[in-house]
Amino acid sequence: MQRRTVLVNTALALGVAVAALAALSLGTIPLHPVGVLRAFTTGEASQQMALILFELRLPRVMAGALTGAAFALAGCLMQTLARNRLATPGIIGIDNAATAFAVASITGVGIGLAPPAMALVGAATAAALAFALAGRTGTRGYPFIMAGVGIGAIAGAITQLMLTRVAIDAANAAYPWTVGSLNSREAMATHLLAGGLALCWLAALGIGRHLNVLRLSETVATGLGTHPGRLRLAGLGIAILLTGLAVAVAGPVGFVALLGPEMARSVSHPARVPLTASALAGAILMLLADLAGRMILAPLEVPVGIVTAIAGSPWLLWILLRQTPGRAL
Amino acid sequence: MTLRSLFLWALPVIALLASLSLGSGSVGPGDVLALLSGNGSDEARFVMTELRFPRTAIGIVVGLALGISGALLQSLTRNPLAEPGLLGVSAGSALAVTVMILMGSDSAAITTPVAQVGALAGCGLVVAVARMQGPGRDPVRLILAGATLSGLLLSLTSLIMMADQRTANEIRFWVTGSISGRQWEELFATLPSMALAGLTTALVARPLASMALGEHVAVGLGYRPGRVQFLVITTVALFVGAATALAGPLMFLGLAVPFIARAIGGPDIRRTLLLCLAVGPTVLLLADTLCRLLVAPSELPLGVTTALLGAPLMVMIVRRHRMPTL
Repeated sequence: MQRRTVLVNTALALGVAVAALAALSLGTIPLHPVGVLRAFTTGEASQQMALILFELRLPRVMAGALTGAAFALAGCLMQTLARNRLATPGIIGIDNAATAFAVASITGVGIGLAPPAMALVGAATAAALAFALAGRTGTRGYPFIMAGVGIGAIAGAITQLMLTRVAIDAANAAYPWTVGSLNSREAMATHLLAGGLALCWLAALGIGRHLNVLRLSETVATGLGTHPGRLRLAGLGIAILLTGLAVAVAGPVGFVALLGPEMARSVSHPARVPLTASALAGAILMLLADLAGRMILAPLEVPVGIVTAIAGSPWLLWILLRQTPGRAL
Repeated sequence: MTLRSLFLWALPVIALLASLSLGSGSVGPGDVLALLSGNGSDEARFVMTELRFPRTAIGIVVGLALGISGALLQSLTRNPLAEPGLLGVSAGSALAVTVMILMGSDSAAITTPVAQVGALAGCGLVVAVARMQGPGRDPVRLILAGATLSGLLLSLTSLIMMADQRTANEIRFWVTGSISGRQWEELFATLPSMALAGLTTALVARPLASMALGEHVAVGLGYRPGRVQFLVITTVALFVGAATALAGPLMFLGLAVPFIARAIGGPDIRRTLLLCLAVGPTVLLLADTLCRLLVAPSELPLGVTTALLGAPLMVMIVRRHRMPTL
């Protein structure tokens, strides 16, 4: 059991490395992968290559891997807590709310907080609202998800409203970011995300054992000495933190949060919540989606959020149509 | 009963008068009265004839179209949450219009049929999804599937907007949903298909009412469910396509209008359709008037207002403990 987890995680980590290498070498100016590897190990590279590699592509790849991992880890936590595959941050409106708040801080409507902070505030607000509106059923069941859909719709409308009220240049600048893109990331937000992801990953691993039990049933978890309410609060807090930080870098790329855990679950041991594997799978998906977005219509760049939406929607539809009502996860 | 009919007759008139006499500019009710008595200023005359009359007329038509198509879809899918905006019908016609503008055509005469073809495709997808669900049908899941479909179609629309700057500028405000600044010609271009859709609505009302009792009942009464379904889909596509061509993809109107109509008149689809004739335009005109007043001297896009008002209504409907299955 333990060995399978190690094996899966190693394979996925290798996958991340390969995807990152591909993302570093491919582009408008293709670089040879061997040359890229040599540049990293020995540091020898022509001036042009160093510029492309270290100034342009590496930060983007780092941001992609980090946001993908954060979204997918958050998605995995939320799905496990709600015991429903649909309960990812994107579907229950946390992404949209974080975007709305961050856009507010960019367009100067809100208070002078930096976008990452505002995105966090937005994510927390949306989650709290969804909880309050769901009433007694808590995170389980459809009222929670539909409340989230409603909050997402309102947040989306507010974002659009703010974008129509600013000058057209500002709206155009903010546009790729509102659909989810790695193009307009800020270095500061990425650094914050890196730190936050490390902490949240450790915290998630810390509660991982309890999550495994919670997946069976709440009574079993209580019987084994886990406090389900406290666990929910901790897990949800981590998920909100991760989503807020990731939205601040890349905007709402909600489908990674759905697809990453899905992919991780299909290869992991069924008795365990695949936390690390989800994060790694999310990083791979994000890197590949961003690479596809750069390559498909080159020289035009398709935002990664649109790539994942187009690739992920059919999958979500499939889940919705095939999932039997009684079976959660 | 009298109170109810008072609301039914008084509110539409109030909405109509408000839409004609209130605005984000300086022309108010006083100027309108002066204009009617024959001595209004030139500014008031221009605002009334060129801006507010067409805007109100378009509001009435769009409200009618979206309200009735919401009622039809809800009856067909037996789902109180079914709505053209949520289910991807509007998104389908938005995508079709975007593709058409990308190809370089932008005359109002072509926009309407193209939008209707897109709406038809969206409708077909939704009904296919509803069919594939089979016996374990579940109202919320159909809506989530529709929202996913809607998201997919809207991402394709954004993709086109990214690819082509000219298209983006032309539809940036249309995509948010608004009925301001439209011309009479745009309204006239949609009228024939609206009339046709009205006719087919009258045709399917009775069969739909019997289908509410079960498909077997409908078959026993001599109706063919397959044909009824086809007619309903065509009607919804005609209505939603025309409304989207005029006002852009508006969310939640098709949800709110039949909901209110049912609250007034009970669950019978025939009565609901009749009530939608009054409720649809009323809701849309009131929402549009709010758009003009809330942030005067500028305006809110109509799509934003409908989302802000409609999303809480949707949550409320879901939260009711027993979801009516129609």
